[in-house]
Amino acid sequence: MNAADPIIRLQHINKFFGAFKALSDVSLDIKSGEKVVVLGPSGSGKSTLLRTVNRLESIDSGTIIVDGHNLYDPGEDINRIRMEVGMVFQSFNLFRHKSVLENLTLAPIKLKKMDRDQAETLALALLDKVGMRDRATHFPIQLSGGQQQRVAIARALAMEPKIMLFDEPTSALDPEMINEVLEVMITLAREGMTMLVVTHEMGFAREVADKVVFMDAGAVVEVAKPMEFFTNPQNPRSQLFLRQILAPATR
Amino acid sequence: MSEPEITKIEVGDGAAIPRPEDKGLVSAWWIALFGAIALLVFLPWYKPDPYLNILRFVPDGIIVTFEVTVFSISLAIVIGLLTGLGRLSRNRFINLIASLYVEVVRGIPLLVQLFYIYYALGRFVRVPDLVAAVIAMAFCYGAYMGEVFRAGIKSIDSGQTEASLSLGFNHRQTMAYVILPQAWRTILPPVGNEFIALLKDTSLVSILAVADILRRGREYASESFNYFETYTMIALIYLLITLVLSKLISIMEHRLSHYERR
Repeated sequence: MNAADPIIRLQHINKFFGAFKALSDVSLDIKSGEKVVVLGPSGSGKSTLLRTVNRLESIDSGTIIVDGHNLYDPGEDINRIRMEVGMVFQSFNLFRHKSVLENLTLAPIKLKKMDRDQAETLALALLDKVGMRDRATHFPIQLSGGQQQRVAIARALAMEPKIMLFDEPTSALDPEMINEVLEVMITLAREGMTMLVVTHEMGFAREVADKVVFMDAGAVVEVAKPMEFFTNPQNPRSQLFLRQILAPATR
Repeated sequence: MSEPEITKIEVGDGAAIPRPEDKGLVSAWWIALFGAIALLVFLPWYKPDPYLNILRFVPDGIIVTFEVTVFSISLAIVIGLLTGLGRLSRNRFINLIASLYVEVVRGIPLLVQLFYIYYALGRFVRVPDLVAAVIAMAFCYGAYMGEVFRAGIKSIDSGQTEASLSLGFNHRQTMAYVILPQAWRTILPPVGNEFIALLKDTSLVSILAVADILRRGREYASESFNYFETYTMIALIYLLITLVLSKLISIMEHRLSHYERR
């Protein structure tokens, strides 16, 4: 793989849910270290798109190349590719029967055959990074939503992935907890992680994104630098979307 | 393929498990327990012949009943786990086999299955009566247990599976490390119910020359002609056993829910 090649390349992706076209000829390149934020109204296919990047969602046509691997080639070991691609969910999905520390060490121990001490050292360092080290022995049910999501980010990082996917990571959170999660994501972005983020947090998109992808009705409508997108959107649908979400603030 | 939706597995004839919040059932449990113990003590004292003689004759059968129950439930849990996984398998062939097994077992009375497996086995291999009885009971209860496992596994939020897959675990590892450890808490109470139901159903194996409680009772009654007295004691013994077991299971269930809440 050439260093200049994109680490994620989606080409002409089509996906149907029955008769409903969820993704319509979507193509997108993401370079290593790039931060891409996907915006769009609900039902526009943003989450579906994100989920195709680690094959949690099947596609009907098109190709997805992740780190040189053709994701939908039956010969590829999807589990090995997924180890390189961390994912953070809207509903956190921490393992409820495991402590915070065990949530982080399970995959490295079982999949990377890391010994327990090493895995725990790594886990504690990551928990420190997301400000959750003092909750290592707690169980997910004892944590707030924001805390759970920070642990979930640390869990994904414990596999030392090359790419991080975020599927509306703050949408299920109470407003006062959103920032603690965004701060962790911003730190991660500054460290150079390749990130694909579906979110409604415009402030995050403005501050962190290298490019903004605007989707509507399953199609990519506009790709632009955040400055350009927010100040001078080209497509009428982007303009309408921005008017709608920004309206209450400008009143 | 659309499957009938089974959200909760209730064993209709299982002993009622009293919950602390159900005052009526709790007091009924105490009354039944003391009533059974009182009669089991009073009758042999009041009229040693035949009641005390019955109590001396039958206990061998209690051990056999427990043997059949414990072996059968253990085997049924293994069969049930495989069946439950099979019913959830994306492999159509495995799914079909598991579903077929459940349909067949549910459609045939247990007594008929017992006879059938007993004589069918007998045509090919000579196995002790007890082994044949255990295999037959496990074959039947494995199907019901399969539905319990299936419901328990399905009760775990799909987000848990997705999180596990996204880390790089395959489906088998996801089941072993993430889903089953969580599902067993849901599964254990209905398994306890099945245990009690199975214990009672082991009385059917008495017709296969297995010397369980009921068989021992029948042997005593047919020699002494004290049918009424014998079956009174048999009924009381079964009642006492199931009452105690149901209490133990409810305590265990309470502990589990407590663990979940901590």
